[in-house]
Amino acid sequence: MKLVISLFCVLLFTGNSFSQDKYESGMKTNLAKMEECKTANDYLKVANGFERIAAAEKDKWLPYYYSALNCVLASYSDSSKTAKDIYLNKADKFINTADSLVPDNSEIYTLKGMIAQSRMQVDPMNRWQKYGAQATNNFTKAVQSDSLNPRPEYLMGVGLFYTPEQFGGGPKAAKLILEKSLAKFEKFVPENDLMPHWGKEQVEQYLKQIAEKK
Amino acid sequence: MKIIFTSFIIFIITSSAIAQTKISGKITDEKKQPLPGANIYIKNSYDGVSSEVNGNFSFTTDEKGDAVLAVSFVGYQTYTQNLILDGKDKYLEIILKEESTELGTVFISAGSFEASDENKAVILRPLDILTTGADADIYSTLETLPGTQQIGETEGLFVRGGSASETKTIIDEMAVQNPFYSSVPDIPSRGRFSPMLFKGTVFSTGGYSAQYGQALSSVLVLKTQDLPAKTQSAISIMPLGLGGSHTQLWDNSSFSFEGGYYNLGPYFQVQKQRTDWDKAPESFEGSLNFRQKTSKTGMLKVFTSFSTGSLSLYMPNLDSLPRKDFFHQKSNNLFVNTNYHDILWDDWTLFAGYSVGVDNENDKINTDTANKDDIFHTGKLTITKNIFSNTFLTFGGEVQNLDHKSSYNELSGKFNETYLAGYLEADIFFTNDFAGRIGARTENSKLLNKTNIAPRLSFAYKLGTYDQLNFAYGKFYQTPDPDFLLYSKNFQFENADHFIFNYQYIGTDRTFRIEVYYKNYNNLAKGTVYTYPYFNLPVIPFGSDGKGYAKGIDIFWRDQATFDNTDYWISYSYLDTKRDYKNYPTLAAPPFSTPHTFSIVAKHWVQSITTLFGLTYTFATGRPYFNPNNPEFLGDRAKNYQNLSLNASHLLSVFGNFTVIFFSIDNVLGYENVYGYNYSTNGKLSAPILPPAVRTYFIGMFISLGETNPY
Repeated sequence: MKLVISLFCVLLFTGNSFSQDKYESGMKTNLAKMEECKTANDYLKVANGFERIAAAEKDKWLPYYYSALNCVLASYSDSSKTAKDIYLNKADKFINTADSLVPDNSEIYTLKGMIAQSRMQVDPMNRWQKYGAQATNNFTKAVQSDSLNPRPEYLMGVGLFYTPEQFGGGPKAAKLILEKSLAKFEKFVPENDLMPHWGKEQVEQYLKQIAEKK
Repeated sequence: MKIIFTSFIIFIITSSAIAQTKISGKITDEKKQPLPGANIYIKNSYDGVSSEVNGNFSFTTDEKGDAVLAVSFVGYQTYTQNLILDGKDKYLEIILKEESTELGTVFISAGSFEASDENKAVILRPLDILTTGADADIYSTLETLPGTQQIGETEGLFVRGGSASETKTIIDEMAVQNPFYSSVPDIPSRGRFSPMLFKGTVFSTGGYSAQYGQALSSVLVLKTQDLPAKTQSAISIMPLGLGGSHTQLWDNSSFSFEGGYYNLGPYFQVQKQRTDWDKAPESFEGSLNFRQKTSKTGMLKVFTSFSTGSLSLYMPNLDSLPRKDFFHQKSNNLFVNTNYHDILWDDWTLFAGYSVGVDNENDKINTDTANKDDIFHTGKLTITKNIFSNTFLTFGGEVQNLDHKSSYNELSGKFNETYLAGYLEADIFFTNDFAGRIGARTENSKLLNKTNIAPRLSFAYKLGTYDQLNFAYGKFYQTPDPDFLLYSKNFQFENADHFIFNYQYIGTDRTFRIEVYYKNYNNLAKGTVYTYPYFNLPVIPFGSDGKGYAKGIDIFWRDQATFDNTDYWISYSYLDTKRDYKNYPTLAAPPFSTPHTFSIVAKHWVQSITTLFGLTYTFATGRPYFNPNNPEFLGDRAKNYQNLSLNASHLLSVFGNFTVIFFSIDNVLGYENVYGYNYSTNGKLSAPILPPAVRTYFIGMFISLGETNPY
């Protein structure tokens, strides 16, 4: 009897370990954890969770994508410039793997632009020339590849929000593009629950902030 | 029922005991410090966990049999270990090794200052070169670093007691024979290359790599930009002239051109000059840049720069006052550098380059004519190979040919020199904290018919995350100046030994560096080429028995964190040097040296008016000058040098185009600097060597067309 049960267990687990269900539930668990994150370390743990899935599901791009995204979010939450760059190095590695799996993907371009934007923020004076252009190039490609994706415009808007008016930025310029992004968010329906769908609340928050400034 | 229930529990316990394996342990770095946030997992399963603050971790897995445990962490090499999952608890103490490409790894740095925008520990950023000093000249920025001397009357970098010709400028691995515009006696000229062209600068004040030679004191290694970030145009408007540039970017290639016309005439009308100009300096200059990405890792670069300029002035003649000598100068420069680099067969890095520089200068002094023509070819091939996991081997060769012609009225002289060099160097990372660079260079001069071998050593030992100790030793050879080679070929290579010991701390926002050095010169060329300005000295026969030394301390401190939006650096150099060379009758401190030099650079950014304010203050003790009436050779000292210069860059948008308005004043306090004195032949009259004007003003507007909105 014991043997039968353990055999059953073995069958059950091996059978299950590569199933779509396990992938989906693993992804959903981590996506749920992502919502709870507060510190850089929290984001790093979630990035680690996605990395574990990525290591087992080598042909799927989403685990790599989310791992990279969480590294970027971790970089936002850490105050050390050195640490920020180290997180972004890791994000680069994951997003490049995702890119090699599904070339010309709007979400991947968006995240690449987001990484460049974050690199620039570490040391704007010295880095805007290189990473500013890199961010713009990627956001432009993201829009070209999928004109319905609201995220590239959200990030462009955030970039403009923090750019001084003298360089063509400021809340006014940001508002136009953030509104465009919001209009796209209203219509945006992700293919499934696992596909990227973040950003709407943040756009609304920025627009609220701009409205309050006036 | 009870039995069934118990057996059910037994089943669960036993089955899970067989099915699950508990893995726990601790993750640390090589110094036994815990690493929180490391990712520990069983490959090809979802099972795993992140390490806690104390480095501990624990998880269970349902996997069975042979498995691979992986540990990954940012900045560290991924660790893997084979495990048999048999239901028995595992406890693992895992040490992660730092990835050597990350920040905080030891790096060879004795003697050098690096400016780079790569994400690594460097002392300067390329932008610092643009925003320091009054004139956006690479060389004037480097003069704010320790180890350099403040020499106002002539161009060039005078490093640690060395003359200007002991510093070589290298662009994309190729030596440049003449990096400055032609100059007039007692008036310095600018560097010919715009700092905008370069993405990286390494300024070595000694102990540099075996890949470079023909410089007794220092090398300035400049790396040109790769593919530009975007297509753009720019124009610059100044009272001194007009400039424009355009860069076109395609997928894998780019082409850019830059040109300008400069005329100092209108400025000299407004700002009174001490110099009696007949025709103010006027120049046309341009550059062309082509980039082609040949593969994922390969790049072909073609860089061309050319300029033509003329000027004329009257110079006081102390031997027949109030007569003045008429001086007219015309000069042309061309520099072409073609180079290619790629990574082949995984880990062979290949660099191949060819460059040619053509410089000619035509001077008229009253009715006399002097001409100088140089054609300088260089070819270089360097290969780098990763031979063991911790050793990089670099080897290669260099050929240079210099065709030099010089004439004065009917007299003319010329020579043709071919110089060959081979080098071999190993960069070895003994541990993550200890690295060495061991190399040697061999050189042959056809003209001198001599061969040399120059050993080079450099070691670095990391003390903590941000600080390290460095040591360097090297032997450096240089062929005597062309002026000597026109008269005699019976010279040895001039040579110098460098000993350098350094401590440096490079944090994210603060940098401290102290360096002690000793330099020993031998076989310096001796002989009387010109009697000027040492009129009454005995004529010295040509030979190679000159010698000298230089020793000192260089201190550098930079702080970007203490004051909001403010970045400042302080440099101090102590120098003790004497030499016996050229037509010196004895060992003496040369005119291009002084014991104490201090400078401070401060920049403050004011966000509300988008303006960067800059301040540079320099103090240097007086330098020696030649007084024919003083029995002690070079026994006189000029007065102390002081200069406070201010600049401001205001960023704005003009018709939607990103624009910078730049304004600077040199010597704001109007301090009367005296660089030295010129004497009449009989020694009875003297005149101070002064800057062309007490203050220099500069204003300019630079517009980037079409760069309206970064997004």
